[in-house]
Amino acid sequence: MSALLRAELLKLRTTRTFVTLVAAALLLSLLVVVLTTLLTDDLNEEDLRDLFTADFSSLFILLLGVMGMAGEWRHRTITSTVLAAPNRLPLLAAKTLSYAVAGTVLSLVVTVAIMAVGTLIQSAGGETTIGIADLADVLWRNLAVAALLGAFGVCIGGLVRNQVAAMIGLLVFAFALEPAIMGVAPDVGRFGPTSGAPNGVLDVESFGGEDLLAPGIALLVMAAGVGVAFAAAAALLERRDLV
Amino acid sequence: MGDSHPSGGADRHDGAIAVVEINDLHKRFGSVTAVKGLSFQVERGRVTGFLGPNGAGKSTTLRVLLGLVRPSAGTATFEGRRYEELDRPSAHVGAVLEDAAFHPGRTARNHLRVLAATGEHPAERVDEVLSIVGIADAADRRVKGYSMGMRQRLAIAAALLGDPQVLILDEPTNGLDPPGISWMRDLLRHQAASGRAVLVSSHLLAEVAQSVDDVVVISKGELRGQGTLDEVLGGDDAPATEVKVQDPERLAGALEGRGHHVERTADGLLVLGATPEQVGEIAAAEQVVVLGLAPRARSLEAAFFALTGDGR
Repeated sequence: MSALLRAELLKLRTTRTFVTLVAAALLLSLLVVVLTTLLTDDLNEEDLRDLFTADFSSLFILLLGVMGMAGEWRHRTITSTVLAAPNRLPLLAAKTLSYAVAGTVLSLVVTVAIMAVGTLIQSAGGETTIGIADLADVLWRNLAVAALLGAFGVCIGGLVRNQVAAMIGLLVFAFALEPAIMGVAPDVGRFGPTSGAPNGVLDVESFGGEDLLAPGIALLVMAAGVGVAFAAAAALLERRDLV
Repeated sequence: MGDSHPSGGADRHDGAIAVVEINDLHKRFGSVTAVKGLSFQVERGRVTGFLGPNGAGKSTTLRVLLGLVRPSAGTATFEGRRYEELDRPSAHVGAVLEDAAFHPGRTARNHLRVLAATGEHPAERVDEVLSIVGIADAADRRVKGYSMGMRQRLAIAAALLGDPQVLILDEPTNGLDPPGISWMRDLLRHQAASGRAVLVSSHLLAEVAQSVDDVVVISKGELRGQGTLDEVLGGDDAPATEVKVQDPERLAGALEGRGHHVERTADGLLVLGATPEQVGEIAAAEQVVVLGLAPRARSLEAAFFALTGDGR
C-alpha cells in the first residue's frame, strides 16, 4: 500500500496539473483577500474568519481528484496502472488517500498565504485582526474539508469515467443544485457532500447560517459520503473489464 | 479444423514446461462470443506467435491472461497462478498492449519512475531499460512529443522494468518503421535466447514469421492450430494443386470429404495440402472430367489465410 501511495503522489508531482492548480487557487484566493481587506472598512473578526475560510482550494482539489481518477480512463493509463498493481481495491484506496494528502497540502499553502497577507494588510491599516487560536481553528477546518473533497473527487472520477462529464456534472451539482436544495429544503441540503456538509465543517455564516450541521456532525457526514462513494467506485472498478 | 493440426501439450519440446497455460477459455461480451474454448501453452526460451485476423480474439485472450478482463469460463495462468495472484506480477510478466498509452504531459523517465514505484522495482532499472530500448537521450522529453515508434519503445521499456521471465506483446510492430520492426525481431529473439517465454500477437504473419519458434493460430475465438511454424502452416514446401474440372462442386465436396482444404478460384479449385497425383486420383474415383491440373507452391500467407478462413 505504501508503494502504491508513493506512486500516486509521484504521479501528482510529475505533471504540471497539480502545480498549475495550486498556483491558480493561490492567486484567486489572494486576489479576493487583498481586494476585500483593502476595499472594505470595519471588517470584524467574524468577517475575517469567513474571508480566510472562503479560499478556492476546496473547489480546485475536488476537480483535481476527478481529473486524477477519470484521467486514468481519458489517457488510457488505467491499463498500465492495473498491470503494475492488479489488485484494484488497494489501488483505488491509494489514489483516494493521495488526493486527500494533496488536498491538505494545497489547502495548507493557500490558507497560510491568505491568512498572512490578510493579517498583514489589516495590521498595516490598524484594522481588526484575529488571534492565533482563531486562525488555527480556521486552518484545521479548511484542511479537513480539502482532504475529504480531494478523496470525494477521486471516487466521483471512478464512477464517471468521462472526465469532462464528471467535472461539469460536479460543478453543476456543487454550485447550482446543492445551493438550490439548501434554499428550498435546508434539512436535506445541509447533508450535501460538496456544499452543505463542507460549509457545516467550515461554519460559514453566509451559506445556510443556523441551518448548517454542527462542525463535528458535518465532518462525519462528509466522511460517510466519501465512504459511500468509495464503496461504489471500488465495486465498479472491481468488476469492470479493461478492454 | 483445429483437430487436424498439431496441438502440443505442456511438454512438447524436450520436456519443456509450459509457463503460460490457457485452458478452455471462454469470454463473452453480452451476446458476442470473443473467445470460445481456447486452450494452448507457451514455453520458456521460445518465441510463440499468437496469430489470427483482426477480431479473432487475440487481444481479449491476452487481456484475460493479464487479469484486465474477467473470463466467462476457463483459466489463463502463469505456472498455475492467475496474474493477480502473482507476487509483484510485473516482476514475473512484462506486457505491451496494443493501446499502450501514457499521460502526454509526463516525461518518459517519470512514466517509468511511476511504474517502478507501483511495481516495487529498483529506481535504477529506469535508466537501464531506457538504454535497452534506445530512448535514453529522449527520456526527459514529455511523451506527447514522441513518435509512434518511440512510444512503442517506451511501452517495451515499461514491460522490461521488472526483468520478467515472461513477455507478452500485443501487435508490437504496429506503427513501427522497417528498422523498428527489425529491432523488435532482434529483441524478441534475444529475450527468448536468454530463457524467457515470449508470446507475441499479430494479425500479420509476415511480421513475425522470421522471429517465432512456435505459433498459435486462432480465428473467430477458436484455436485453429498450435505447433512450430512448419507444423501448423506447412511452410513454403507444402503441396497445393490448381485444378480445372467440369463439375468443380462435386470434386470440391469429394476433396473436402477426404480432409483437404479447398478454395474456389475464378478458374477452378485450389486444393491445399494435396499433390496433383492425389487430386487426380480423387477426380478419377469420382468420375469428374479434369480439364487441367498443375502444382502450385503455397505461400505461408496462403496457408495462414486458409487456416483462419480469411477469404483473401
